[in-house]
Amino acid sequence: MTQTLPETIGELLGWGTELSFGQDVVASLIGAALVGTLMLTMTAIAGPWAKRKITAAFTDRIAVNRVGPFGLLIIVADAVRLLSKELIVPEGVDRPAWDLAPIVLAGSALLGFAVIPMGSGIHLADPEVGLVYVFAIASVASVGLVMAGYASNNKYSMLGGLRAVAQNLAYEIPLVLIAASVVLFAGSLQMSEIVAAQQGTLLAVGGLSIPAWYAFVNPFAFVLFLVANLMEVGRNPFDIPEAPTEIVAGYQTEYSSVYFVLIYLGEFLHIFLGAAIITTVFLGGPAGPVLPGILWFLIKIWAIFLFTQWARSALPRLRIDQLIEVGWKGMLVLAFANLILTAVIVGVIA
Amino acid sequence: MIGIFKSMATTMKHALDGQTFTVEYPEETPDVSPRFRGVHKFSQERCIWCRQCENVCPNDTIQIVTDEQRNGEQYNLHIGQCIYCRLCEEVCPVDAILLTQNFEFTGDTKDDLAYNKEQLKNVPWYKDIDPLASREPDRGGWIGEGEGEVDYQ
Amino acid sequence: MSLERPRERQLDIGETVDGDVDYDALAELLGDRVVDREEHVNAPAFVVRPDEIQDALFALRDEAGFDYLSCVTAQEYDDRYESIYHLKKYDDPTQELGVVVPTAKDAPISQTAEPVYRTADWHEREAYDLVGINYEGHPDLRRILLPETWQGHPLGQDYNAEKPQVVPFRKHANPLQPDQRGEGDNSDTMFLNIGPHHPATHGVLHVKAVLDGEQIADVEPDIGYLHRCEEQMCQQGTYRHQIMPYPDRWDYVSAGILNEWAYARAAEDLANIEVPEYAQVIRTMSAELCRICSHMLALGTFALDVFGDFTAVFQYAFRDREVVQDILEDLTGQRLMFNYLRLGGVAWDLPEPREEFFEKSRDFLDGLPKKLKEYHNLITSNEIFQARCVNTGILPPEVAKQYGATGPVARGSGVDIDLRRDDPYGYYDELDWDVVTEDGCDNYGRVLVRMQEVEESAKIIEQCLDLLEEWPEDDRTIQSNVPRTLKPEPDTEIYRGVEAAKGELGIYIRADGTDKPARFKIRSPCFCNLHTLREMTQGEYIPDLIASLGSLDIVLGEVDR
Repeated sequence: MTQTLPETIGELLGWGTELSFGQDVVASLIGAALVGTLMLTMTAIAGPWAKRKITAAFTDRIAVNRVGPFGLLIIVADAVRLLSKELIVPEGVDRPAWDLAPIVLAGSALLGFAVIPMGSGIHLADPEVGLVYVFAIASVASVGLVMAGYASNNKYSMLGGLRAVAQNLAYEIPLVLIAASVVLFAGSLQMSEIVAAQQGTLLAVGGLSIPAWYAFVNPFAFVLFLVANLMEVGRNPFDIPEAPTEIVAGYQTEYSSVYFVLIYLGEFLHIFLGAAIITTVFLGGPAGPVLPGILWFLIKIWAIFLFTQWARSALPRLRIDQLIEVGWKGMLVLAFANLILTAVIVGVIA
Repeated sequence: MIGIFKSMATTMKHALDGQTFTVEYPEETPDVSPRFRGVHKFSQERCIWCRQCENVCPNDTIQIVTDEQRNGEQYNLHIGQCIYCRLCEEVCPVDAILLTQNFEFTGDTKDDLAYNKEQLKNVPWYKDIDPLASREPDRGGWIGEGEGEVDYQ
Repeated sequence: MSLERPRERQLDIGETVDGDVDYDALAELLGDRVVDREEHVNAPAFVVRPDEIQDALFALRDEAGFDYLSCVTAQEYDDRYESIYHLKKYDDPTQELGVVVPTAKDAPISQTAEPVYRTADWHEREAYDLVGINYEGHPDLRRILLPETWQGHPLGQDYNAEKPQVVPFRKHANPLQPDQRGEGDNSDTMFLNIGPHHPATHGVLHVKAVLDGEQIADVEPDIGYLHRCEEQMCQQGTYRHQIMPYPDRWDYVSAGILNEWAYARAAEDLANIEVPEYAQVIRTMSAELCRICSHMLALGTFALDVFGDFTAVFQYAFRDREVVQDILEDLTGQRLMFNYLRLGGVAWDLPEPREEFFEKSRDFLDGLPKKLKEYHNLITSNEIFQARCVNTGILPPEVAKQYGATGPVARGSGVDIDLRRDDPYGYYDELDWDVVTEDGCDNYGRVLVRMQEVEESAKIIEQCLDLLEEWPEDDRTIQSNVPRTLKPEPDTEIYRGVEAAKGELGIYIRADGTDKPARFKIRSPCFCNLHTLREMTQGEYIPDLIASLGSLDIVLGEVDR
């Protein structure tokens, strides 16, 4: 078993490999701060800058290029702009819930990264039920959405919150079922085990060897998972809870200033968390030649981020009833079929 | 499914060809047509104070003040209120008022946009294009038409 | 030739074999309900007593086949109020008839035409709002363009425009009070204000929606936020010069020349002005360029409504529209507010050097099929788009006719009407093109109609370019000889429509012998098309409401005028 990040930090601090409880907490906090900073940097780049650049490329425009090199300082400018805005608290909001919702949204996504192996020894914790944990924590976000939608005292927010729940219910189950099929292959829920199980070579054609990533082993499950994940994080064409042209901005209609930043941050963290899960479960985690693991990990999650933006540029939004129908009648059935198929294959081979 | 892939392929093609159709505005100014109608330029030397432009203006943008001998004193034009219909230029018998291609004008208040005859005289050509050249061929179509004498009022 | 429509149906009462109207036969049909007969420039009009108007209209609709109430014009004379119902037939819009209903000055009460034509609902509300005629039996006679608290009727003769219209804030409905609508407290429905500032209402439209869950139980468009008194402004402008800049501002999204043509056609017919053939070709070409512009924008914004973000389709549509606008800028000098047509012709000949203009236009036309292919790839062939648009926003043809829908909305419901073919003007009847109809009756059908009309417009422009290129140089008259001060005969009245981008844009003008119109009425296609929204969205979902609204392609500047 590989070393986790807190253990490495403990070693660097000269505490040895066996950490006491207090030392463990300190080392874990340091590690968590490092990983959290890394992921927040990702979202900071993605939200104000990369998303605009990517969208501009798809729509033949130039986009942010005035502030700083390549327009990168727009990140700072945007942060200052958003944070300096007035925080408007509408009449009749349900205060504790309204204040808590943005924190729950952003927090739940951040917590998910705790069990993701990012390569180069950056792996905060490796519990045996890592996969279950990450799904569970990602789903907490739905609670945040409902809180935001219900507490805002706005009908559009209400509709957005309800849509978010309906959508998450419809997609959580297929998502977990597809992941379960991978668990059948790997024989473990532990993230490091799942990554380790993908280390081998599936096929070697000439000099090219295709690694045994589950995306190549079971492409059907990979595509299903990709779609289900898009729905789970609520990106186009499944951005139904927000649906700017229909219900203004859904659950986030009434949020401004810092709270808006938190929600926005939470959304991008969720995209990256979704991407991290896909990377770990289907794309061999941080595995890759030449470059260090962490770089490969980042390349993979950015590729998936790019994919979400690509889908956004080209695909119309589904209607909520159509989405529910696809979820319960399509994806769920396919997910079960995939699970059974995998079980049979694994059973026959093993 | 094929339709979805076709959509995604189309946008990806646009992303990869690297072409953009927006321009970086102040650095790269757009070309405007010779006929484009921008801010007015007024020439007091040419003007005969016939007030036709004032009369034809659909929304009272032009205000002319003359003394008792009909000598012109003031010529005010509210370029913020103007709808750039070019009727004043069309009816002017002596080309005293001309719409330049200049569309770049600003003002902090509405008052800043009410130009008097000096300001109107100092409106620069856009990229040094004199719009009169492009309009010459058709001006005959307006002046002297109609039944009977042309009345300059 | 595409311009002839098959004529297989039976003749209506009062219809002659060669497609004219026998007004004596119609007078016979109406019997003694006809009090008098007026001659308008476009068609004769029967004067009907205000308490018999419904009977008369029922007879005209059911027996004489006048199934299209194009417009209702109301006005006040010195001695009477008058409502004029401009009737047409969907099968042949050249068969026209006016029904004039005078009402007494002291008690302007007239029977409503709403049971006969649904479209009269809004038209009569507008007449009530602006002129002050009361329509007896009208289901919902409220103000439509002005706020409910407005005092007086602005187009009435005794209206005091100087009087300030200040209403204390407390007299307005409180926007924050709980609003349930439906069966009181135990209703399951939710009332939702969509607009006036909502991302997808295409301007300042307010849709009062009653929701049952996500489904629409009832919607009511609330218009008037962009009412700019366009009719009154035209009444204060001279025919010759001052009216022409304003039509650009009705439907302000690049359909300018189409709108100008509506005014030009009405005024030219009113004052009997000839237009040189060369100018007609230029008009036809520039109008079709405007149509392409307008349809591109409609496509882009509809995609925006369905796709959900300012994404690729919107940008691509704008990019292509930009090219057309450049061409129009070369020709007219402006990109949106063209002011290009003049009574009796156009303002400018093609720009010199002409070859450059032809080349630029042809380059655009040559590139168009490829771009349309791209749109089909990106939009119409996309399965998700189809899932969203097919069978949503259903507008059956009978309903479309009842609501006076025209343009792509009617043609998307299979109603074969296009004034360019049916009531030819300009150079259209000399050219080879087709009227596009789709039988889908849904949002998808309307999108397809628009995309195919772009192709047809391109065909028309191509032929016009050929004509213009070969036009002999000594015959390029762009304006006919028109008096500088135009004073049409007093008491001449005309109602004329053209096929604008959104449908039939009609103008009613009554002259009173001065150089300004006494009454200027705009029949806006968007106004009538928007009225169908309620029928289209019953029982559908909120996203469908947005999509249907987008597929109607309304411009609030034209709805509210």
